Amino acid sequence: MPETQLKEDELCETGIEKLDEMLGGGIPTGSSVLVVGSSGSGKTTLCMQYLINGAKKGERGVFFTITEPLFKLTKNLDTFSFYDKKLIESGMVNLIDLRIITERLGLNTEKYTVEDASALLDILKDIADELNVKRLVIDSITALCYRLQTPEMIRDFIFKLGSSLAAMNCTTLLTSEIPPCKFQYSQYGIEEFISDGILFLGDVERKGDLIRTFQIVKMRGTAHDRTKTAMLISTKNGVELETLLRSRE
Amino acid sequence: MVNILIDGLMERISSAIALNKSIGILLPSQNYQELIQALFERIKSKPDEAWIYVSVTKPFLNISNQLPFITEIKNIRFIDCISRTAGISNSTKNIIFIESPTMLEKIGLEIMNIFKEVDPKTKKYLVIDSLTNLIIYNDPEIVTEFFHNIINRTRARDINIISLAIEEEGMECYLNRLVNLNDKILKIRDSFI
Ligand SMILES: Nc1ncnc2c1ncn2[C@@H]1O[C@H](COP(=O)(O)OP(=O)(O)OP(=O)(O)O)[C@@H](O)[C@H]1O
Ligand SMILES: [Mg+2]
Repeated sequence: MPETQLKEDELCETGIEKLDEMLGGGIPTGSSVLVVGSSGSGKTTLCMQYLINGAKKGERGVFFTITEPLFKLTKNLDTFSFYDKKLIESGMVNLIDLRIITERLGLNTEKYTVEDASALLDILKDIADELNVKRLVIDSITALCYRLQTPEMIRDFIFKLGSSLAAMNCTTLLTSEIPPCKFQYSQYGIEEFISDGILFLGDVERKGDLIRTFQIVKMRGTAHDRTKTAMLISTKNGVELETLLRSRE
Repeated sequence: MVNILIDGLMERISSAIALNKSIGILLPSQNYQELIQALFERIKSKPDEAWIYVSVTKPFLNISNQLPFITEIKNIRFIDCISRTAGISNSTKNIIFIESPTMLEKIGLEIMNIFKEVDPKTKKYLVIDSLTNLIIYNDPEIVTEFFHNIINRTRARDINIISLAIEEEGMECYLNRLVNLNDKILKIRDSFI
C-alpha cells in the first residue's frame, strides 16, 4: 500500500476495496476527480457505486446527470446488487437531472452565457450545501463543458465549482467522455489540468477480446499506485479491480 | 471393469490431495472422461468440502449430459469459461459463465470471491480443467502468469488446487512448465490404470 501523509478522516473511501488500497486509503477529501473513459467504459457505474458506498456509511451524496435521463439511470442501476433503492428514498443518495434545473432557471439548454454559467454554479453550490452532501457526481462534465462556450468559461466553471465544494469538504467525481483509443483525458483538454485527480478507464485487447483496465493517472496529495489494473463489472459486485496479467502486452 | 478404473483413479487423486496443496494431472486425452468422472465421484463423496470447478474444456451442459449425477452435487460451484465462446447461451442457475477464456482476471476474481464466502474452517479445493485449453485460447506466457498468480493466492488462503494438463502435440514444453509449478504431478497412463 502506498504511503500517505493524510489521516483517515481526510480521505474519502470509495468503498471499492482495491481502489482504496491503490489510493492509499481513499481520495483526499474535497478533491475533484475526473473519471475518464470512452462510452461504455463504466464511468456512471463507478460513480454511482462511490455514492452508494458513501451513503451506506452515512455520507450523503448527490448525482447530477446530464447525459442520461433519470428513469434510464435508475433502470440500469436496478440490475446491480449494490444498488439499494432505499438509499434514494431516504435521501442519502439524490439523483438530479441537470437539464430540468437549467430549464427551470430559464437557461438556454444548449449554450450558456457567462451569466448562465454563474447562475448554474450557484445552484449547484446551493444544492450541495442545502443537502449537506459529502459526495457529489456530475455525469458528465463533458456535456456541461459543451454548453460552456470558451476554454476560459470551462476553466472558470470547473475551478470555482471545485473550490467551493472543497470548502464544504465535499469530494467530487466528474465523468469525462473521450473518444476510444485517443490518448487524452478530456474533450477540451482543460478539465484534466484543473482537476485534482484523474481515474482512467480504458481497455487492452487480448486475442481480439477487450479487457477493461483502470489506472490512477494522478491524485494530488497522495503517493498513489500507478499500475494499470484490470477492471471488471458484474451484476453482483459492480466495479471490481484485479491485478492485470500483462505478459506480451 | 470401468468402475475399477474409476475407483483406481479416485484413489490416486484422493491420496495425492491428502498430502499436497497443489497437484497437476498430466493425462492423454483418451483418459479425460474417466478422469473427470473419478474427480466428480471424489467430490461427491466428501460433501463437507467446498469445490470450484473451472471448466475451459467442455461446456457445463456437455459435462452434465455425460455425467448427470454432477447436477446433484451440492458442494461444487462451476465457472464455465467455454459455453459463451461456443455460442451456448443458457443461463443455468448457480453456474458462473465467463464470456471468454481470455478473461483470465475475471476467472481469478470469481474464484476468490466464491471462496471468500466459504466458512474458513471448510476445506477448499479448486479444479482447473484445463491448462491445455487455457493455452489454446491465450498466449502461453499469460497463462503461466495467471497460473502463478492463482497458485500463490490459493496457497496464501489454504486452498488446494488440482489442474489438469491434457497432453497435446506441440504443447509439451508449455504444459510441463506449468505442471511443474505444482507440489505433485500425477501422470495418468493407460498402462497404470
Ligand atoms: N448489471 C450489469 N452487470 C454487469 N455488467 C453491466 C451491468 N450493467 C451494465 N454493465 C456493463 O457496464 C457497462 C456500462 O457502464 P456505464 O454505463 O457505467 O458506462 P459509461 O462509461 O457511463 O458509458 P456512457 O459513456 O455511455 O455513459 C455496460 O456497457 C455493460 O458492459
Ligand atoms: Mg454513463
